[in-house]
Amino acid sequence: MLFWILVATLTAAVAAVLLLPLLRAAATAEAPQSHDVEVYRDQLEELKRDEKNGLISGDDANFARAEVARRLLAATDAVKAAAPVQPLKRGNRLAQLAVVLILPAVGLCLYLQTGNPDVPDAPLAARLANPGDDMNILIARAEQQLVAKPEDGAGWDVLAPIYYRSGRVEEAAVAFRNALRLLGDTPVRLGGYAESLIALSGGLVTNEARDALQKLLAIVPGDPRAQFYLALALKQEGKMPEALAAFEQIVSTSPADAPWLPLVNEHIASLKGDTPAAAQQAATPLGNPTGDDIAAAKDMTAGDRTAMIEGMVGSLAEKLKTDPKNFEGWMRIIRSYSVLGRKDKAADALKQGLAAFPADGSEGKQLLVLAGELGLKAGGGVE
Amino acid sequence: MIIELGHYALVLALATSLLQAVLPIIGALRNDHALMEVGTVAAKATFLLMALSFSALTYAHVTSDFSVQNVWENSHSQIPLIYKFSGVWGNHEGSMLLWVLILTFFSALVAVFGDNLPETLKANVLAVQAWIAASFSLFILLTSNPFNRLLDAPGEGKDLNPVLQDIGLAIHPPLLYLGYVGFSVCFSFAIAALIEGRIDAAWARWVRPWTLAAWTCLTAGISMGSYWAYYELGWGGWWFWDPVENASFIPWLAGTALLHSALVMEKREALKIWTVLLAIMTFSMSLLGTFLVRSGVLTSVHAFATDPERGVFILVILILFIGGALSLFAFRAAHLKAGGLFAPISREGALVLNNLILTTAAATVLIGTLYPLALEAVTGAKISVGPPFFNMTFGLLMLPLMLAVPFGPLLAWKRGDLLGAGQRLFAAVAVGLVVGSAIYYAHNGGPIMALFGVALGAYMIAGSLTEIFLRSGLGKVTGAVALRRVSGLPRSVFGTALAHIGLGVTLIGIVAVTAFETEHIVEMKPGMTTDAGGYTLRFDGLRNGNGPNYSEESGHFTVSQSGLELAEVWSSKRFYTARQMPTTEAGIRTFGLSQLYVSLGDDMKDGGVVVRIWWKPMILCIWLGTVFMMAGGAVSLSDRRLRVGAPARAKKQKKPVLEPAQ
Repeated sequence: MLFWILVATLTAAVAAVLLLPLLRAAATAEAPQSHDVEVYRDQLEELKRDEKNGLISGDDANFARAEVARRLLAATDAVKAAAPVQPLKRGNRLAQLAVVLILPAVGLCLYLQTGNPDVPDAPLAARLANPGDDMNILIARAEQQLVAKPEDGAGWDVLAPIYYRSGRVEEAAVAFRNALRLLGDTPVRLGGYAESLIALSGGLVTNEARDALQKLLAIVPGDPRAQFYLALALKQEGKMPEALAAFEQIVSTSPADAPWLPLVNEHIASLKGDTPAAAQQAATPLGNPTGDDIAAAKDMTAGDRTAMIEGMVGSLAEKLKTDPKNFEGWMRIIRSYSVLGRKDKAADALKQGLAAFPADGSEGKQLLVLAGELGLKAGGGVE
Repeated sequence: MIIELGHYALVLALATSLLQAVLPIIGALRNDHALMEVGTVAAKATFLLMALSFSALTYAHVTSDFSVQNVWENSHSQIPLIYKFSGVWGNHEGSMLLWVLILTFFSALVAVFGDNLPETLKANVLAVQAWIAASFSLFILLTSNPFNRLLDAPGEGKDLNPVLQDIGLAIHPPLLYLGYVGFSVCFSFAIAALIEGRIDAAWARWVRPWTLAAWTCLTAGISMGSYWAYYELGWGGWWFWDPVENASFIPWLAGTALLHSALVMEKREALKIWTVLLAIMTFSMSLLGTFLVRSGVLTSVHAFATDPERGVFILVILILFIGGALSLFAFRAAHLKAGGLFAPISREGALVLNNLILTTAAATVLIGTLYPLALEAVTGAKISVGPPFFNMTFGLLMLPLMLAVPFGPLLAWKRGDLLGAGQRLFAAVAVGLVVGSAIYYAHNGGPIMALFGVALGAYMIAGSLTEIFLRSGLGKVTGAVALRRVSGLPRSVFGTALAHIGLGVTLIGIVAVTAFETEHIVEMKPGMTTDAGGYTLRFDGLRNGNGPNYSEESGHFTVSQSGLELAEVWSSKRFYTARQMPTTEAGIRTFGLSQLYVSLGDDMKDGGVVVRIWWKPMILCIWLGTVFMMAGGAVSLSDRRLRVGAPARAKKQKKPVLEPAQ
């Protein structure tokens, strides 16, 4: 309310100031030439001074004086010749109306279009002093404290899940890792860490994530979330029978109304090689297994699904181009291409993967094993 | 609420500008005093509203109010206070707001100090100023609103661009804008004269101080930008012929021409129409510069915004103002009365030569800047017009100009004596040759062009002093009389001499650095030494440190000469965490007018680091010269006879009060 009162006051004040000259009695305007006369007189004065100070010789001064005097005469004649200016009696009504109307009209129309009158100021100091449930400030404050004291485990512990929930998975992974390092293993931290890593790698259960999950299982045997991701890891590695067994194990130990069962059953179905198995098999390891992609994939036609997979593969290929030192990425893309029936592309990816991870290393060997399973042949030039 | 009030003040400023754009001009047509008076009041009101708006944005930046998108994008809670202030204009939206603030400030100055201007002229000038202000306020509100809000305010800002976190950048844009926008007043005076169809005698007296002030600020702004680029970008260059630099240099060249032609017009009522055209062209070039920088047509450190919508908007403003002004000129120029006559060899003639060369130079730079853009637009071919083009064309154009500079002030008005002036400059030529040979000898075997360049610079300095020496009459009269005469000289004479000396000093700096600079790129490990410019540098090692919003790695060097330790140099690389951006902080050590410039490169695996070391002989002359030019501008501006503008009205004061007798 105060805001609108101030807006009205400001507008009224400006309008009043602009109206003032319009309400005054009209004054006579003088002929513009009369100013010229003053200027030339001034120039003559200046000339006189220069001559007195010896800055200009007598001859030059006389020349200049004659010239200025000529101009002065011409200007004086012009003033005399100019018709006396008639003062205007009336005719300001329209201008007054314009002032009164245009200021509030333009002001309010444009402001209501572009402004946010309801949004209060939010100086940082005030927000820090009284954060309330301002999530951004809580994060910022914790971050500032951690910059000062990077070894404060409790700070990382608080921040990590907040990061994860707000989708900043990279920071979440770092925060979980720091909390684990400083405060030790707990199921919550291990699980959060693994999930951050999985989300970060776009749904792939990396070795690091698998280690964390195995530690978690050591603390809480039978944790369904850890079991699920480990089963997924098996599936992503191409160990289909083991994966199927692991998924079935989850079903057998879960209560019948467990919320994760539909997802697990879906994996079982795909592993058993049901209907459009080929496409679905690729869909899961590529998408975020807990995310919306799967939900969406369920309702898709086979064609849509293939398109989606191809999109994902494409983005992965881009990523690998800039960062070829991504072993899991190569495993995934080779498998994906062969599932999609692109043997040539798969062989190509294998070649590139082997360039990044030579065949005599352990990773290179794994790539070759995978290629053997999929019936691919690495190019002769690589080995 | 303060922020939203600031936003509303901006909208209201647009509304008052609209009234100011229309009412006074109707008043001038109908000779209606009241309507013309509205312009004066509206100009003051618009400025106050803009100031309110700008203060609100500054408040948001200083209090780190991240609910304002502009603050979130360009500030950080941890940066030093000064960068919270400079962050206000260190971005597209804020800098446009500053642009309009300065514009309205100048309008208000005309409104306040314009009492002695002819009433219709003042009304028209204010109206034209308001057209510009209204266009750009609308531009800000519709395409680059700094008051956009974020409903879910972030907890931390994205930080100001690290290369802009520098004291030089806190001052560079406002100075540049004072220059750019200062020329808007000259433009408005030109348009007002064309609308009225007559040029008052007071016209040049008003235009010249504005030109001087704008030119001085622009000189300072460009010079500061150049020095900033030199020490911040880490590769020791001070001018790159970068399109954005050119965008500020073209108005400077045109403004320099305007400055000189306004002089002719004021003293001799000659070159009237030409001066009007130059005033239009100078501001047009400023607008073009704004367009090039703001539209994203050019990519550079200055292009904060690469938004085609903004580009189109500014392009429309550009076409309206430049096209409109030139059309008006075409229609009305014939109605203007041409001024006095003069012989080709005279002070006027020299100034015409100056104008011809400067405008040609401006056109050359303009073509070099725009040609690649035009070619790409038409044929799609990408070419780049680089320093060789500019150095050849621009350098060749400047040569006769610089030779002619000392002649100008020595020639008499109306009809001059070239031979006489040449004889009087004999001493200056001699000084030039002696200094040139001395430098040549000192740097034994430097290129012959350098000898010539330094000699030319020294000749300009000596030539500029010649006028003061001759006017004092020293040698013919006693010392006391000469002193009295010198102190009695109009300040504009000293201004002229200072500015011309500055040109000579800058030229010497440019030539010396270009010809005698040495560059060493070495990989150094702690304890190693290397020689540069006659000094020995020892690398002592690296140290890590943390600033408020960055981490840095600094290398320490000890400078010694023939075994004597003279100085130490810190050179660092910084990494700004919020933007994930590295910057270099070159280590610079000054010896007299020369500098040792040390820049850190990449770390090597074996603990060494790549170090670039430049020896920059007499480099400070480049900027020292611009300081001379600025001082010249300021001294000339302080000359009362110019500052008075038009004399006071007779009805208020019988005899105009001018400067006290000296």
